[in-house]
Amino acid sequence: MGALLSLTNGLGTINATLLTLGRRLGASMVAAMVIIILLQVFYRYVLGNALAWPEEAARFLMLWMTGLMAPTAFRRGGFVSIEMLTRLLPSAISALLSLALLGLSLTVMIVGVQIGWSEVTGLGGRFASDSLHVPISFDLSTWIKVPKSWMMASLVVGLALLISVCIELILRSLVTLAGQTHRLIEIPGSVIGGAE
Amino acid sequence: MLSFFLPLFLVLLLAGLPVFFGLIAAPAILLWLNGQERDIVLLYRNVYNGMDSFPLMAIPFFMLAGEVMNRSNITLRLVEFSQAMMGHLRGGLAHVNVLSSMLFAGLSGSAVADVSALGSMLIPAMEKQGYTRSFAAAITAASSIIGPIIPPSGIMIIYAYVMGESVAALFLAGIVPGIIMGGGLMLAIHFLADKYNLPARTNRATWGERGQASLKAVWPLLTPVIILGGILGGIFTPTEAAAVAVGYSTLIGFFVLRTLKLADMPEVLTNAGMTSAVVLLLVGAAMAFKTVASLSHTPELLAAIILGLSDNPLVLLFLINLLLFIVGMFLDAGPAIIILGPILGPIFASLGVDSVHFAIIMAVNLTVGLLTPPMGLVLFVTSSVSGLRVETIARATLPFLAVEVFVIFLITFVPAISLTVPRFFGFVH
Repeated sequence: MGALLSLTNGLGTINATLLTLGRRLGASMVAAMVIIILLQVFYRYVLGNALAWPEEAARFLMLWMTGLMAPTAFRRGGFVSIEMLTRLLPSAISALLSLALLGLSLTVMIVGVQIGWSEVTGLGGRFASDSLHVPISFDLSTWIKVPKSWMMASLVVGLALLISVCIELILRSLVTLAGQTHRLIEIPGSVIGGAE
Repeated sequence: MLSFFLPLFLVLLLAGLPVFFGLIAAPAILLWLNGQERDIVLLYRNVYNGMDSFPLMAIPFFMLAGEVMNRSNITLRLVEFSQAMMGHLRGGLAHVNVLSSMLFAGLSGSAVADVSALGSMLIPAMEKQGYTRSFAAAITAASSIIGPIIPPSGIMIIYAYVMGESVAALFLAGIVPGIIMGGGLMLAIHFLADKYNLPARTNRATWGERGQASLKAVWPLLTPVIILGGILGGIFTPTEAAAVAVGYSTLIGFFVLRTLKLADMPEVLTNAGMTSAVVLLLVGAAMAFKTVASLSHTPELLAAIILGLSDNPLVLLFLINLLLFIVGMFLDAGPAIIILGPILGPIFASLGVDSVHFAIIMAVNLTVGLLTPPMGLVLFVTSSVSGLRVETIARATLPFLAVEVFVIFLITFVPAISLTVPRFFGFVH
């Protein structure tokens, strides 16, 4: 039990650290998205010069924001689900059902990471962005188009973080089944709401 | 075999699997059993493609605008304005609650944000004036439903994206239903005044006081004008309008009201980003799910079953209202729209029901579902804001829920309620 508990709380600490970093990066990306789109409007109406890159840059940031922030929501119970059955069942059966559902979720994500990785490293990832460029020399004299794989990697990173969270939640369920919930590190409350 | 993905999805959903995983797992399992591994790759690819969309970016932006407005205490200005206009009536604060929700709806488009912002302010104030806490909580919850109906609206953006509708058309179509919903709740307060022993009339605010309150509220009240005016005037796309709403509300918060601090921003951005991330993943999965739905011919199968019940569109719309009401009891509006829109939309389009009208029927019906137990998101939030049990609030909202169900039927059977405004602007022919 001691080993399981250490493993669970150890992974919990790693996840909490990684996700804090993810949230901070994600929050900065939300701010950057707003600034970029306002810049687009400003250039179009005030300077009469429609920029080509803001739309794609903002989409790039939105995908990364999703990949970096969704795992926190999952860890805090913010993924929408109908929890009626798990509430109605006796606690032991409910815990087993939760474990099975986490196992299925983990499978969905593992398959997703495999497919995602092959997409990122495959032909689709080698295509270049339409409008985004990055410098590849310190004197800013040479620029290349951003490969699509940089954008696609957002979902792979997001799924990898989700897998890590899912494994932590599975371990936590096992600890709960063993009646040792009070020895688990605390996860902050759930994220409420959605588009509603 | 692929047509079994819908029953399988429902089983997984009822077992408690998060909707996001269910939307992928159900079709993927059947594709795998069918030996169509290559289509599983397509399924996942569609999740990514479904999220990679500029129009969808309006969701994080509108959520951020709502968060900024909440943090800037803009709600207080709206409540003061409503108080000056309607506070003198019998049950004045209850009317103020409804009017504030209608005005707030023009800023944020979220029922949850409405309950959190208005509930924490108005429920204690109403209690102090002699209203029971359950009545105050009930009217706060019931009126918050107007949030996603009057534009802007997060669920309308999702519906428009998933179903390929115009965001502007749906925004316009929600205006009159939202006003009718608010008017209906005010009528209910008027007629229930004796039963609930609501506080008596007070002195009407003077025109000077009203003018002052209007002046204070003018900045936030301009937000919906900028959003809708910008979109309809062809100045902004809905996504740009949402970004402008963020910029505008941030400027008001920092420089006009001076209630927003730089230190508030990390939390504001994190809340908006985290909520949006969940919604965006769901929409991506829904787009993948939609592809499998059309490949499996499920809509056609369901259409045959539904059309077998009756060939009268009015009867079918009534039955769909019942179905949506029941679904709304178990699922939040966003996920329900994502799942059912692609399945039900084409069926009613083939019956001659206007797609914008059907979108409003679905959106309003499922939004009212936020108020119905056992899974009513608004009930949960109201419970945490008011400290009352969910069951107590659910019982207290019953008279208002009855009004809202009546409005749903009005919207369903009188298409002009939803279609007149978008028709006027040329979005519906």
